[in-house]
Amino acid sequence: MAIKLLLEKAHVQGIRTYEVYRREGGYTALEKALKEMSPEAIVEELKKSGMRGRGGAGFPTGMKWSFIAKPEGVPRHLVCNADESEPGTFKDRYLMEFLPHLLIEGLIISSFALGSNATYIYIRGEYAWIPDILEEAIREAKAAGFLGKNILGTGFDCEIYVQRGAGAYICGEETALIESLEGKRGNPRIKPPFPAIKGVWDRPTVVNNVETLAALVPIIKMGGEEYAKIGVGRSTGTKLISACGNLNKPGVYEIDMTISVEEFIYSDEYCGGIPNGKRLKACIPGGSSVPILPANLLLKTAKGETRYMNYESLSDGGFATGSMMGSGGFIVLDEDQCVVKHTLTLARFYRHESCGQCSPCREGTGWMEKILKNIETGKGKMSDIDLLWDIQRRIEGNTICPLGDAAAWPVAAAIRHFRDEFEWHITNPQEAQIRNFGLAHYADPIHVPVTA
Amino acid sequence: MKFSEDKLAKVSEIIARYPEGKQKSALLPLLHLAQEEFGGWLSADTMDYVAELLSITPIEVYEVATFYSMYNLKPVGKYMFEVCQTGPCMVRGCDDIIAYITEKLGIKPGETTTDGLFTLKTVECLGACGYAPMMQLGKFYREHLTKQRVDEIIEECRNKAALNN
Repeated sequence: MAIKLLLEKAHVQGIRTYEVYRREGGYTALEKALKEMSPEAIVEELKKSGMRGRGGAGFPTGMKWSFIAKPEGVPRHLVCNADESEPGTFKDRYLMEFLPHLLIEGLIISSFALGSNATYIYIRGEYAWIPDILEEAIREAKAAGFLGKNILGTGFDCEIYVQRGAGAYICGEETALIESLEGKRGNPRIKPPFPAIKGVWDRPTVVNNVETLAALVPIIKMGGEEYAKIGVGRSTGTKLISACGNLNKPGVYEIDMTISVEEFIYSDEYCGGIPNGKRLKACIPGGSSVPILPANLLLKTAKGETRYMNYESLSDGGFATGSMMGSGGFIVLDEDQCVVKHTLTLARFYRHESCGQCSPCREGTGWMEKILKNIETGKGKMSDIDLLWDIQRRIEGNTICPLGDAAAWPVAAAIRHFRDEFEWHITNPQEAQIRNFGLAHYADPIHVPVTA
Repeated sequence: MKFSEDKLAKVSEIIARYPEGKQKSALLPLLHLAQEEFGGWLSADTMDYVAELLSITPIEVYEVATFYSMYNLKPVGKYMFEVCQTGPCMVRGCDDIIAYITEKLGIKPGETTTDGLFTLKTVECLGACGYAPMMQLGKFYREHLTKQRVDEIIEECRNKAALNN
């Protein structure tokens, strides 16, 4: 059985309530942190754990925390990024829905370490029923003396507030989130200054993902060194993967980053293979922004080595033959899926979500959607493929925030690996309306068991 | 146009979450509250009222209301079917679900039935990819949609509307 640090208790009856969570050992990490450790010692443990941010960028969290400015007399804030909106990603929702106290405990520990007396959870507006769950957990934690004034006699005061967004993917970008929290449009800010220096209301701010902050609980419980022993290399600890697409058992899984991609897709412990005995065509392993890989590059790297579910292995080969761990949004496409159409839905998504501040992204995402739509509906020209390539290249790296890159990469990777499928759409416009291109040479290169 | 005493207490509670003088931060939550309270959409009058509550200029409210997709700037049906159409939902057949709702209710995405009961809207990823196809209906998600489930949901809405009349 795999090691579970976050979801271990997810199936305990009533774990959503304080009473059961506490009975199952909840809030002992908080007691340890506040009574036995200094804020600096918590940051040290976090550094030792080697944990990388679970939102998508994978930046070491301990290092991020150590950047926070501490000017005399200026309040600091922790903001929990629960604006989960990357297509394919639904892991934070699972954590908040089923283990709200785990997040609240992690948030209080983190608030203590960073010196935040007012901490905000910024949650995407569509998750409209979850604030009630979180606010109930906050009320219970407060009644138990873990929130409010002078927590556990330490002199530390802390309140947690839940703020709903209103439908904007861009607010998952930390400076856009800060703008939104200030009651403005979600336009990302130019960095520097970084939020650690000038964040919400110009105060030093740390923004971290839900899963990242929940992981503080096991890190404090077991110690950073023990946490770092789980996993492999710079992929320490456990990671939540939300699996979707053509899978027998889509859902949220906690993995320890030592398992292979093949095991994750085909074993009964995880996704249980692909329905109806279909074969694997392609996969986007880390949320819609990361490069799509054909089956033959997904299960094995270009060097022919087994590919594993961790930061290093998933990015092995760079963008030429690899992808990224990203947010852990794992999207699987079987042999019947059309890569052109799938890419079109992603291009439409990014056009819809572009904030409009930078012209390469505002204009480019619209152009890419239009061209992809032409190709998909049989009105494409051969030159469109190079045009698409040219547009994505001019977006990447030329915008204030990474949404531009996120919009460019899926298009680039689709053309890089599936160019003949694009060409087929253009040379066979009628046929492409009634059937899909199919599997071709992207077939899974290794024998895989057929599951029911 | 005015919130009830109850809602005004809620407004004060929300404003108190932010530092002194940063009451503008309450804008998104207040717009949600106003939309719920005043007919499911934000008229210019509603937005002006929210501006007044927060002591900010109306333009500061308009620019925010037009940015976020969850604020409706024109009236919508009593029940809004917001069907996700992004990649993972497409793979699991959301196109068929959208086509079925269109056929069943006689409205295309963006339209409202003449009786004002239903609005169909296509939306981008709602974070329910593993439970696709899906839609948002009010506060909650309806997942693992099939044509039969859609029939049941429509029936459920009609019954609820009949009860309220």
